[in-house]
Amino acid sequence: MTQADGTMKTEKKPFKPERITSAKTTQWLSNNKQLIGIFSVLILLSVFFSFSTSSFFTTGNMLNLLQQLAPNLIVVVIMTLVITTSGIDLSVGSILSLASALIAVLLSARWDSFFAFVFVLIVGAAVGLLNGYIISYLRIPPFIVTLASMIYVEGCALLITGGYSISISGSSWLMSLGGGELFTIPVSAIIAILIIIIGWIILTQTRFGTYIIGIGANEESVRRAGVNIKKIKLFTYMFSGMIAAFAGIIIATRLGSGSSNVGTGFEMDVIAAVVLGGTSLFGGIGTMLGSVIGVFLIGIINNGLTLMNVSPYIIQIIQGAVLLFAVIVNTYFFGRNKKRN
Amino acid sequence: MNDIPRIAMKDIKISFGSIQSLRGVNLELYPGEVLGLVGDNGAGKSTLMKVLSGVHVPDSGSIVFEGNPITIHNPLEAKKLQIETVFQDLALCDTLDVASNLFLGREPVHFFHRLIDKKKMHALAKEELDRLGVVIPSTYSAVENLSGGQRQSVAIARAVTYQPKVLIMDEPTAALGVKEVRMVLNLIKKVKETGVSVILITHRLQDLFEVCDRITVLYEGKIIDNRLIKDFTMDSLINSITGEVKEAK
Ligand SMILES: Nc1ncnc2c1ncn2[C@@H]1O[C@H](COP(=O)(O)OP(=O)(O)OP(=O)(O)O)[C@@H](O)[C@H]1O
Ligand SMILES: [Mg+2]
Repeated sequence: MTQADGTMKTEKKPFKPERITSAKTTQWLSNNKQLIGIFSVLILLSVFFSFSTSSFFTTGNMLNLLQQLAPNLIVVVIMTLVITTSGIDLSVGSILSLASALIAVLLSARWDSFFAFVFVLIVGAAVGLLNGYIISYLRIPPFIVTLASMIYVEGCALLITGGYSISISGSSWLMSLGGGELFTIPVSAIIAILIIIIGWIILTQTRFGTYIIGIGANEESVRRAGVNIKKIKLFTYMFSGMIAAFAGIIIATRLGSGSSNVGTGFEMDVIAAVVLGGTSLFGGIGTMLGSVIGVFLIGIINNGLTLMNVSPYIIQIIQGAVLLFAVIVNTYFFGRNKKRN
Repeated sequence: MNDIPRIAMKDIKISFGSIQSLRGVNLELYPGEVLGLVGDNGAGKSTLMKVLSGVHVPDSGSIVFEGNPITIHNPLEAKKLQIETVFQDLALCDTLDVASNLFLGREPVHFFHRLIDKKKMHALAKEELDRLGVVIPSTYSAVENLSGGQRQSVAIARAVTYQPKVLIMDEPTAALGVKEVRMVLNLIKKVKETGVSVILITHRLQDLFEVCDRITVLYEGKIIDNRLIKDFTMDSLINSITGEVKEAK
């Protein structure tokens, strides 16, 4: 290590370049040791399931898993950004339900697939925009704002479906979003991978991402740096609504039907994945890769245990326990989730 | 000294709830001048400077900048006027690295202005810290891993990097060691020579006598004394700060 005694010299004291490189590597390792940790758990679990059930580690099951997890992988990207600002979006599950119901209703009403698709995205973005406006301009805590949205958006979904599931038939490109394949890989999984890459670039390589982290660490500091933090938060929640709606379309086209309850509990799965991955609930620290691993961890526990014929009730108990354990480890071994002074 | 002030604040008032923090403050600052702003804890020094840097918008009063009446609605507008501030509470983002903090809000970009040019940002950060003689292990360290003095150095470096016209330093030496305090005082003398106006807030009165041209004393939200440094002695300054001299010149 170079000297860290905090002195400042009046004369020049040049850095040694190779020290900086090594400090950078050390920094990366110390930032990512927990990522390496949960990734190891993921690998161990996969190995365990591969030996305990013959159907787990098959191409068919893996592709099926990927397709099932695609909506979670898409929404976890934006949820990571939201939580990194020290916010939360509880309304994504309801928006997903509403989007799936709405696309089904619009297609039944003979809307053109493209216009129905765009309209649903706009509805999602509008809900997100309203969330963002109330959170950043009226300064109401995100938890309560998005809780309210979660309730009224689900009400809207119930209203337009009457509580029934509505079957879908759209043009082929729209249906292929959820059910299609490209070289045997589900289209939804390919889209998810693209969105993950874009999300990672936004978080780590752009000004927007830097301000998202900065807002989570010290909002006032970012404001004093001359950044329009209200706009940043507004856009984050708007994208959250839009992407949740997109995930809703994907689910609806995969299932071939839309209903007001497909997204029930979805927000909790996504938030759990983000927290499992090591993003701090207090903001300022966010890891896209961690969140993706978090989704797979939850998904694989579910998939593997199901294949082992474990009761879904017990699976849910195990998932809760794993989350609790991970949060405790993250907090006490990696200093995440602890409130900074 | 130049005739038109770089900044003239007139009758600035601001209240927080029932607390009236500034009760009609007039303050002038000339090009190339170092102005010491002193007063007891809670006198309103930081609040007055936050008005200049766009953090607070005053309830009433006016600001004239280089002869033009202006209003500063937010921190970005202050920065556009080249008013840079080292805040008393530093205002750094703990989880961002040193370079990101230095360039917060003005990151160098490439790739059609879409991505931060990290290589360039870290190189510039290193260059700037070297130039100021600030020793920090790496521009890649998160600010939360730095010592108090190093954090303060980052905050100072951030303010002086952009060739300000007005440099506001709110207790910049509070966490610094002897050598570092020297660095800051030398820095103030250096930027003053290039025509920068500096406002220095500090409770270290001996520093004021070293670098200031003029001292203004705030007392309970009002200016109660304003004299050239040569008209002050240590004793008269202390009397002023404690409110024993009510006569403003
Ligand atoms: N954001 C705020 N909300 C409420 N009251 C405030 C706020 N900012 C300042 N005040 C009040 O205004 C008064 C002046 O505070 P200020 O921070 O300007 O004092 P100061 O002269 O900088 O003191 P110090 O030497 O301790 O830094 C204090 O009574 C303080 O409590
Ligand atoms: Mg103060």
